[in-house]
Amino acid sequence: MTQLTPTVEDAMLSLRSPATVMDLERLGSFSPTRLSFARRLTRLMFEQQWKVSRTQFELDEKGHGFAIYCLQTPAYRYHVVVFSRHLEDAQRTDRVIAEAWDLTFCLLEGEVDAELMSALSANVPLQEAGRQHPRLLVISRANKSLRAFATVSTALASGQQPDIDYLKEAGYLYRTTAVYGNGKFGIADFDRLKGYQDFWQPFSAQMAAVYMLREFSVDQVEHIARQADPGRAVALHPEARRYLGIGNSTGLGMAPFLINHPQLISQWVWVRERALAIAVAQAPTEHDRDRMLALCHRAAAYLADTHVEDAPQRARNSEAHEELTQVIAWLEQVPLDEVLWQQLLNWAQTHLSLETQELINTLLIELYPELVDALNDPMGADENLDLTPDMPLIQLKQILETRFDWAIDADYECEDARFWFWYQSAEKEEPRLGVRGEELGEEKELGLAIAPTAQRVYRDVVELLDAQPRALTIDLLMAFPEHMRVIRRIQTMAATVYGEIRANLWHRDMKPMHLLRAKLSFLGAHRFDPKGDRWVRVTFFQGAPLLSDYEDSAASAQVFDDWSFPVAPDAERVSASP
Amino acid sequence: MKISLNELQSVCRKAFMGMGFTTGHADDASAMVAWMQSYKLDGMKELSEGLECVVASAASARPNVIYQDADLAVVDGQHMSVLSSGNLALELAFAKARIRGLAVIKIRHCRQRQLIMGYLARLASRGMNVTAFWRHSQSPITEQVVGFRAGSAVPSIRVYELADIPEDDVPNDGVTILMANHVDLLPTIRSEDEYKLLARHDESDLLAAKQQALEEGLTVDPEIWQQLKSFAAKTLVEASEQSRSGAGPAE
Repeated sequence: MTQLTPTVEDAMLSLRSPATVMDLERLGSFSPTRLSFARRLTRLMFEQQWKVSRTQFELDEKGHGFAIYCLQTPAYRYHVVVFSRHLEDAQRTDRVIAEAWDLTFCLLEGEVDAELMSALSANVPLQEAGRQHPRLLVISRANKSLRAFATVSTALASGQQPDIDYLKEAGYLYRTTAVYGNGKFGIADFDRLKGYQDFWQPFSAQMAAVYMLREFSVDQVEHIARQADPGRAVALHPEARRYLGIGNSTGLGMAPFLINHPQLISQWVWVRERALAIAVAQAPTEHDRDRMLALCHRAAAYLADTHVEDAPQRARNSEAHEELTQVIAWLEQVPLDEVLWQQLLNWAQTHLSLETQELINTLLIELYPELVDALNDPMGADENLDLTPDMPLIQLKQILETRFDWAIDADYECEDARFWFWYQSAEKEEPRLGVRGEELGEEKELGLAIAPTAQRVYRDVVELLDAQPRALTIDLLMAFPEHMRVIRRIQTMAATVYGEIRANLWHRDMKPMHLLRAKLSFLGAHRFDPKGDRWVRVTFFQGAPLLSDYEDSAASAQVFDDWSFPVAPDAERVSASP
Repeated sequence: MKISLNELQSVCRKAFMGMGFTTGHADDASAMVAWMQSYKLDGMKELSEGLECVVASAASARPNVIYQDADLAVVDGQHMSVLSSGNLALELAFAKARIRGLAVIKIRHCRQRQLIMGYLARLASRGMNVTAFWRHSQSPITEQVVGFRAGSAVPSIRVYELADIPEDDVPNDGVTILMANHVDLLPTIRSEDEYKLLARHDESDLLAAKQQALEEGLTVDPEIWQQLKSFAAKTLVEASEQSRSGAGPAE
């Protein structure tokens, strides 16, 4: 699973440099690729022919009650259990400090017997406040998008399909506010999942749970419509159904993950960059160029359809839409050269925004599934930050000067460079940002800012080397035990291809949103819609295949493989459906 | 109560930080406790029985080296928990073994010696053959030997009682560790003295115990768990209206 160091093949590939890729603003411009976890899941379900069935659906006329879905993979059987309840409007909030939700649900291994169901009923709806069963792999919760839900259920109950323009605006019926895995609140540790054939990759179990919630969301709205008017109600048109995803609200809580799992993030970036380098190295055929043009047109249509509330992101999307038009014109006009893709990247780098540059990269990766999909396998990492105590200190100094130059050369003394501090709130132990010198809690600062810490180590290394030129790393640690953590990290990350995210997390201009987007892109989230600096709404699985598609033996493989940047279905065709 | 391994490690880490450990030492101490608990070797019991000592040891991250040369080091544990500076003492020996092929370290006067196994596991995973030896009691004399094969985080453990040996009335509250870069050091008891085997844990038993812990969760005493959470709470900042502004959009 682990492959953190450069390979022989890497030497043949023209990988982008860590200085380019690990820049926080660039990471914050990433779009999901076919290697993202959501895309991988739908491919895997198709390739392995997972059988998914609804085994219980005990909902009243308002859609309250519970439902159980069974997932049978070639290796194991899992169940998703969803609890739906009435929620007063005043209680409905995306904030992590919420204590009640419209839906709570879990993905679990094995069968659901009466005893387990009793434990689930008592604890899953409580989420963080419950003590969850160790057979649970994921727990989560979601709130209704009230207007979207009401619009769709009313339309279906009256025998009509919902207005497609409205679906473009909403994109989902429910949005999750946290999706917990890896041992949280008593559920199964990820270490256990690593032994499974199905969910050994990070976030694969979470993605499966969210995918099933999407299915439930439409099952439920159709059920409510049928209950309201059994004689007239219709099912949602499959194209409209496919166009609905699941929303997600994510805040600062996600940010420390990227800092606390540097090997994993470096690995994800490395996999993505290798895929890009392989794609760029291909000599395109006319068919490849046509396919790239088609993808650009689809991405442009997706951007045109996408409604986001955040004005800066709207401007970024609008700029990307405009620039894609230029890309299309460029691709249509330039000769079909063997190094066309490299020429495209070179041109994009000097003429287009980061958002569009990374969008082009995503589309290039899309062109060569047969070459890049196998790269998906090493998306996990054995995360051990190990010390090399016998490393000569002069070598550690050299590593700092070559791999951490961006950190040790920076100025951390000016006010702007040390503006923020990160801390953990007593409320649900959520990570938060405070202004240094103004807000309480500085003395309990979380050690997330690696860059200034690396600089302190460097200064101590230089000083000790002056006195003991032949000193080892262990000699430094015996003198400065407080450096243990960061030295381990420096030594370990120096052996990786992409290393650390290059940012001063204290800096006034640092945008935590970039951290969130970087991770969300790897998960596979679209429709990035920030709410200020610290919160964002995204959509998962919009355009993804439906369970009915998996049951349809005539469905083309493309349905399961090629659903990114979804475009709204044709309104007339959908509304003409009975 | 049942908890996950990740919860145990996370709460322990915060608890150690709440006690005053540095971040790196808190990482290591929590990993040491979690390692023992995950193999059903009562890491939490060992921790809780010496919790006062751990709290008192929190600020002692630097080992007190009495003697060292290229192959050997003697460290005074100052009656502190091995959780406080045991990691660095062991890294010192690891560095020597990597350079010299074999190294010995003696940590004198230390507490909670069982917990050191968690760090030895980590060194073994990094390719070092490791054996540790210590005496539990003087009367009767009971001894423990723990051996790790290079590359494996799972040890073989033997605890035995000696019936008839020369009198030794000096309490042995230290631990001696051998590390060898290239030579297997697994414990095989070959004694001419009469001995009674009190406990034997082989790699396969321990792996099965860990698998069971992963499937069923770890059982911990709720009282100890609450104690640790109280220490962990010291790392948290009370919420304010200002801090809530970072807690997501109010609808």
